[in-house]
Amino acid sequence: MLANPFRFLAVAVFVLLVGLCATRPPAGRANGDKDKHEQKGGHAHVPAPTEYADIHVPLSVWTAARMIARGKEIYTTRCAVCHGDAGDGKGPAGVALPLKPADFRDKAGVAEMRDNYWFWRVSEGGQVEPFKGRGSAMPPWKGQLSVEERWAVMAYQHTFSGHQGPHVPWEHPGSVAMGRDIYAMACVMCHGVDGKGDGSVGPMLSPRRAPQPRDFTAGVFKFRSTPSGELPITADLYRTVTEGIAGRGGPLTFGMRRHRIMPSFRQMPEEQRLEVLEYVKTFHRGFWEREEITRVTIPSSPPATPDRIARGRDVYVNAKCFECHGESGRGDGPAAPTLKNDDKLPIEAADLTRPSQFKNGARPEDVYRTLMTGLDGTPMPSYADSLQPDQAWDLVFYVLSLSLGGRAAEAGLRVVR
Amino acid sequence: MSRRSLIGVALVATVVGYVRVESASAIPAFARQYDLQCNVCHTRPPRLNRFGEQFHMMGFQIPSAARPGGLVGTLQEDGPIKTLIDSLALRIEGGLFEYTESPRETETKFAPPDEITLFVARPLLPDLSFFVEIEGEPNGVVFEKRRYFTKGEAGLGKEAFFMLNLGRLLGALGAPTMEMGGQTMVGKHGGFSMHGPMVMAGKVDPNTNFSYATNRQLIAPTELEVKRGAVERLPVVPYAFASKFFGLFKNRDEREPQLVTDQVMYNTAGSPGADFHAMINDVFLGQVGFLRENEGFNTYGMARFDLLDRRELAFNVSALVNGGLGVVRAPDPDDRDHPGGRRLDRLRYGVAANVRWKDLDVYGALIWDQLYGLPGELRSDFDRTATGLSVQADYLVQEKIMVSSRFDQLWAGGLRNETRDGSVLSVQAKFYPWQNVAFFVRDSVNLRSFVEQSPLLNWRNQVFVGIDWDF
Repeated sequence: MLANPFRFLAVAVFVLLVGLCATRPPAGRANGDKDKHEQKGGHAHVPAPTEYADIHVPLSVWTAARMIARGKEIYTTRCAVCHGDAGDGKGPAGVALPLKPADFRDKAGVAEMRDNYWFWRVSEGGQVEPFKGRGSAMPPWKGQLSVEERWAVMAYQHTFSGHQGPHVPWEHPGSVAMGRDIYAMACVMCHGVDGKGDGSVGPMLSPRRAPQPRDFTAGVFKFRSTPSGELPITADLYRTVTEGIAGRGGPLTFGMRRHRIMPSFRQMPEEQRLEVLEYVKTFHRGFWEREEITRVTIPSSPPATPDRIARGRDVYVNAKCFECHGESGRGDGPAAPTLKNDDKLPIEAADLTRPSQFKNGARPEDVYRTLMTGLDGTPMPSYADSLQPDQAWDLVFYVLSLSLGGRAAEAGLRVVR
Repeated sequence: MSRRSLIGVALVATVVGYVRVESASAIPAFARQYDLQCNVCHTRPPRLNRFGEQFHMMGFQIPSAARPGGLVGTLQEDGPIKTLIDSLALRIEGGLFEYTESPRETETKFAPPDEITLFVARPLLPDLSFFVEIEGEPNGVVFEKRRYFTKGEAGLGKEAFFMLNLGRLLGALGAPTMEMGGQTMVGKHGGFSMHGPMVMAGKVDPNTNFSYATNRQLIAPTELEVKRGAVERLPVVPYAFASKFFGLFKNRDEREPQLVTDQVMYNTAGSPGADFHAMINDVFLGQVGFLRENEGFNTYGMARFDLLDRRELAFNVSALVNGGLGVVRAPDPDDRDHPGGRRLDRLRYGVAANVRWKDLDVYGALIWDQLYGLPGELRSDFDRTATGLSVQADYLVQEKIMVSSRFDQLWAGGLRNETRDGSVLSVQAKFYPWQNVAFFVRDSVNLRSFVEQSPLLNWRNQVFVGIDWDF
């Protein structure tokens, strides 16, 4: 009974496979019609790199008359020669350029440019990829214009588009359309349509206890490189999306490296990971409203020595880590059963003998970061004010040595190395 | 093989299986391929949650994150041994049955591994994946030489198919496409978007996308009981998806009856055919396909609307139309114990809905079946319409305990002198010491009167204590 249909289906699948392998989407059609914009205005819809991703223009800049006037002065002397006095990309020096200058009157094109992308372009000009490879002649202005001056010129350029109000994603949803599509496909089931962490998967994933999917609107993030209480930087979010989040439990099996409760999206192209993060950031306007970003510095890792691990043991005791994590680090300290997160949900203390379950990473620098930033929203505090960097490293190496059951420090060294 | 020796072999197999699985544990292939906990994709195995449905829909890949190199990339990264092991999974089900036929008569039966299934599954390319089940049924029921009997069997299991994303092909034909993490989608960012269309070809179970996914329920069907070559007792299944008609036959030459509780048509557990499905704008899922069934084949169309997914509440509804051409045989009007010369068409249509709210998952389906082409001589003695209703609720009491209840109602059709309606209420508690291992106790109550002659109704109560090493 199966022979004939299978023969037919095998042939059909073979034909489809040949068709699939022989074809690729035409470049002009892949990922919307971005190439049309590139031909018109010279900008490619690529996300700003992480070092620029957090530089969002303060909302007031876009409409401040003083900033716009200052931007006009700069634009007239430095930009109009290519971009034109009217911002139409038809300045006298721009006509012959291989990659045409941006036309700021193109409402759709401007709407797609996120502020951090725009700032990156003004700062680095055409000296970075993918613009360099396409023959962009735009000079980098970061050495000649201050940050405020670059914002001012952007504010003036923005006026050509005719848009009133700040240039932010919630005014221009198209600027995060790709990220929103990825979010809808991969994230919404847990984090919910509105980013409140209220998708239908979460409650059954870990019922009535932590961890629950992150509520992006609350602005409380566990995994940061910023001080406790502050929003993370894009690179922090990128690390979480890339690595996923490990957890306790999981199947009784072999061959698993980590038991993730949030998948790793490391196979997603880097550009698309950044796109989805740009969309995720729109759930909390604080990313646009913070004026300064402070990062917890992670000094280079000192060598792990038996003495350091022994000192780390003392730090572990003095800092009362054992109260939650237990004497042997198994997460069975006297306070562990009573731990709750900010949402009043029971939360387990990390089992320090199982680095593969560390949610914020198990490399020495990851553990250091966790100690110094804390995990906001959980009982794990930041030790940035109470531990010196050297003490923190001692503790890091002691914690990592616990994965061998807290045996001799020398044994722990093997793990650390 | 005698019954005693069969039970002996099964006992040994269970013990061996237990020891093996206990030491090596179950091997959930996808969990290992992606280092993911089972509960990321399952409310509790085997039922899929919304992420699991999306994972399945994208060809067993993390949505938007297909490995660019496919199998080659995996081999380079993980090496051939890990790649091979990660592609395999094993499932063992078995347990202990007890029937109560009357207040004083009970029958207890050990059900050694009902099914031992080996799964081989993984993506081969970002747009192509495969899934194959190889199934062993140590105490499977077969129909041969016009008799039912228990016989150990091994072979291709319920499903064996390729899944191919046709998005790239549509792109080549002129459709706008989006590259979403190696998976090609049709559409444009911020506008129309379509996952797929995906084609599943081979031996397929199309109902995974239905609001009531027949093969992803937590209360599994019980086994068919046979005695002296005849059906002793029909299994308890979701009646909405059952064949529903008494007196029909699957085929002419073998004279195999189409049992009233057989899962058929769109709701088959797996049948040769091809299935096309696509998700549009993350709201509408359209599905069409055709499946081989008995001596005929059936075509179907299904539409699912995902109406809501916020505040921990998800709600979807589905509508199904399924036409089967020549899929069953009417009985011979002159000898109703034998198949006649007329093949019948069956129209199936129905609706289903699923609500998930916090720890509660409720799903139900109401399915109508109608037969066409009956011989004139049978019309007065044959009810050609039938209806089934199945409603189930699963509640996660705590992380490792899920309780479920299902109500099944059958308004059967077929030969009027044989036709019996059925109503069954089942309750089940399932304990998951690990996410991929479940111990369960299930009780089904026959809500109708006890009828000794009817294999649908000749029981009052069934208790099944079992274990399911799931994947």
